[in-house]
Amino acid sequence: MAKTVPQENIRNFSIIAHIDHGKSTLADRIIQECGAVSDRQMSAQVMDTMDIEKERGITIKAQSVRLDYIKDGEHYILNLIDTPGHVDFSYEVSRSLASSDGALLIVDAAQGVEAQTIANVYIAIENDLELLPVVNKIDLPAADPDRVLTELEEAIGIDATEHNLVSAKTGIGVKELIDSIIERVPAPKGDANAPLKALIYDSWFDNYLGALALVRVFDGSIKKGQMAKVMGTKDEHQVLNLMYPNPIAPVKTDEIRTGEIGIVVMGLKTVDSLQVGDTITDAKNPTAEPIGGFEPAKPFVFAGIYPIETDKFEDLRDALNKLKLNDSSLSFEPESSMALGSGFRTGFLGMLHMEVVKERLEREFNLELIATAPTVVYRVKQTNGEEIEIQNPSELPEPQKIDTIYEPYVKATILTPQEYVGNLIKLLNDRRGIQIKMDYLNETRVLMEYDIPMNEIVMDFYDKLKSITKGYASFDYEPIGFRPGKLVKLDIRVAGEVVDSLSIIVPEEKARTRGLAFVAQLKELIPRQLFEVAIQASIGNNVIARSNVKSMGKNVTAKCYGGDITRKRKLLEKQKAGKKRMKSIGKVEVPQEAFMAVLKLES
Amino acid sequence: MLVYIHIPYCDSKCHYCSFNSYVDKFDTRSEYMKALCTQLSFELERFNTKEKQIKTLFIGGGTPSTVAAKLYKPIFELLKPYLQDDAEITTEANPNSATKKWLEGMKDLGVNRVSFGVQSFDRNKLKALGRAHSPHQAKDAIIYAKKIGFEHLSLDLIYNYQGDTKKLLFKDIEEAFNLPIDHISAYELTIENGTKFSSTPKVRQENEDLAFFVANEIRKRGFSHYEISNFGIYQSKHNKGYWKLENYIGAGAGAVGFLDDTRYYPQTNIEAYIHDPLKITKEHLSPDDLLTEKVFLGLRSTIGIQKSLLSDKMKKKAQILCKENKLNCDDIRYFNDNFFLSDELALYILD
Repeated sequence: MAKTVPQENIRNFSIIAHIDHGKSTLADRIIQECGAVSDRQMSAQVMDTMDIEKERGITIKAQSVRLDYIKDGEHYILNLIDTPGHVDFSYEVSRSLASSDGALLIVDAAQGVEAQTIANVYIAIENDLELLPVVNKIDLPAADPDRVLTELEEAIGIDATEHNLVSAKTGIGVKELIDSIIERVPAPKGDANAPLKALIYDSWFDNYLGALALVRVFDGSIKKGQMAKVMGTKDEHQVLNLMYPNPIAPVKTDEIRTGEIGIVVMGLKTVDSLQVGDTITDAKNPTAEPIGGFEPAKPFVFAGIYPIETDKFEDLRDALNKLKLNDSSLSFEPESSMALGSGFRTGFLGMLHMEVVKERLEREFNLELIATAPTVVYRVKQTNGEEIEIQNPSELPEPQKIDTIYEPYVKATILTPQEYVGNLIKLLNDRRGIQIKMDYLNETRVLMEYDIPMNEIVMDFYDKLKSITKGYASFDYEPIGFRPGKLVKLDIRVAGEVVDSLSIIVPEEKARTRGLAFVAQLKELIPRQLFEVAIQASIGNNVIARSNVKSMGKNVTAKCYGGDITRKRKLLEKQKAGKKRMKSIGKVEVPQEAFMAVLKLES
Repeated sequence: MLVYIHIPYCDSKCHYCSFNSYVDKFDTRSEYMKALCTQLSFELERFNTKEKQIKTLFIGGGTPSTVAAKLYKPIFELLKPYLQDDAEITTEANPNSATKKWLEGMKDLGVNRVSFGVQSFDRNKLKALGRAHSPHQAKDAIIYAKKIGFEHLSLDLIYNYQGDTKKLLFKDIEEAFNLPIDHISAYELTIENGTKFSSTPKVRQENEDLAFFVANEIRKRGFSHYEISNFGIYQSKHNKGYWKLENYIGAGAGAVGFLDDTRYYPQTNIEAYIHDPLKITKEHLSPDDLLTEKVFLGLRSTIGIQKSLLSDKMKKKAQILCKENKLNCDDIRYFNDNFFLSDELALYILD
């Protein structure tokens, strides 16, 4: 059972950092300094628990830790509230920050401020957090803390006079950092005698305990056994168990008090009923107003996901349902495609979310999947006045029924070394970006802000940006609403038939170039077969690009006598199995790579 | 029924060859020939062979001409009562070891067809393939074989070796047709695992044009194309028997036999075979396996596929192919006249 300490001795803080700037390492170091984990247990980064997180070095689910720390004989509770490290999860980030009273702003001593850091700092400022600038990796030969601190002041406009210099790797400055946290992060406010008001800032599914909510209690306290109400859903549940988060094993408690964080167990079957941002209160004596800013997760990017083996559709449904237990932002509904059979139109928070979900489905559920080109949501005003939202290009009405198509825009923030500005401007212009701001933070680093259609960044934008800046530029974005666009649906016809899953929505002025590139790429990917295959790109009935895959001339092995027949049969069966993985469009067989071709298109 | 006898000895190993053969085990030859008789007697019984029931005998290898004709005598004595009067009796031979004496000896035993491993008449290509003979030896051996009265003579050619050009292959075909042959086997070079070429797969060129060129040049000269690699005014009954899935005895180390729905595999190691020629592994073939084989074997030769063998779904697909002029059909069978596409056609029908 954990000790209770007075409210004024609690510190709730988050860590804001760009990928690779050492957030997890520093978190681990703080945990270790507080003695919550022995050196032996500290084998890997404690904070990142999912395999994919460890591999990619990013945090997808926020983790939290309650730490005990004694300073000058005084007992403190340090609640480290981790934040997801990617733009796709910015809503989760905002809720984690809303649960904190201060934030460590980590910047790499050699690399300086990055786009992601800036985006998260703005959220922290909105939430009135005390910001503690921390320059990490000061042990590196290229470390230049002064430059980095100046940059921080210029890019974000915060005062960095008071700051900490640390090396999470070697442990230098970590103890001093903890002292700064205690001194500078304000103790949580909140009325212990008011009705319970707790913010769900993370939720996940545990195989034994069911859906769990990680909460920050703002007012009152939550007690084991009481009836609690989730205000968004209005559902009431009994609190079965309460725990404080701990990197090794959660610590049971009977009560989570004002200012504390903790895990609430109510025996629920899905995280749908415990959505991030919702408020938990006392069912008998509820608080008047829920905590503001609750928005149910809303997907921005959609793609069709299909099993390569058509008989795996139900397995895919089961797998998606299992992932959904843990990810309320994931949405999916069955759809069918002429070429790909039965699958699901799946909604994601962003590109990374999509990649992570696909990878988890393949890895954890042993499925082989084809994902269609990702698309954003379009709003279409029809000539009859009706407005519809479409998540799949094939849903776009015929051109004569369309009055206006509105497409989503984002505000893109890019931080780059000055020498790549030219390349970036060209890329952003190609992608229909509108420059809003370009600031020189110092003589070498530039902050660029663009409004850009989201359609232009869902496919290969990030890779492209990284490649033209040799990996040095960083990028972040936030949705800023819908604007009208001159867009058309580009269809691909194979052997005369429109392949629904290959349709994409493109700006009219780019349709021809895209069509040509798409057709050329498909020609490379579709193997020669018995019949000549015509490949065309069209807008409506108007063909704008065409090519042919010549029919096959020869497929045979030379020798086959008495002793060769079995071997030859097995070879043929192997070829047959290979063909099973292809999708039939009429009498043409198309390999799965062809469905990914659009992802590789140069714009 | 048919009989195949495998002779696993060679003077040298060709760079492309994956057949079971050895260059350093000649001292086992007489023991081996005895073991062959032991297995053959057993097989004749297993196959419940009747008198005059064997319509073809094929001695292959390896290199049958590395074994003296007299050592074959007991085998012929054993088989004699079962051979039909007009049985096709073929032996393979290499130009360098098929001496006059050997050819005469084999003729006396009753062999009436010789298939010569010529491969090319180009000295450099022969060398590159690891062949032990010269263009001259090949011509002399064939001319002599004709002179002493062999009824049917065939020679092998290889194409799509890296240095092959239309010019070179044209010359090989011209040379072949200057000789008294009634059959040519023209093989596309294939790179097999465990051969010398497998470490340099680029020695094979992927050249569709050359394949069609070779086939056309041979057909133009009057040999009919009856299987992907085989052409002749005389068509080998033995080989056609394989492609029709007729029963065959397979005797020798590395041979394969077939009876109804089972394949029989004697041991491949010469010493092990000599020690126990009756130790034979079986492979059972399901009806599906057999159907697959009938389909692809039928499509790579003039044999075709009996319509009645196919399921409705397969017939439907075959019908599409007929409509698209990729396949021909009459009332009782489908047949293909572009053998080069046969695997693709088989895959389409069997899908």
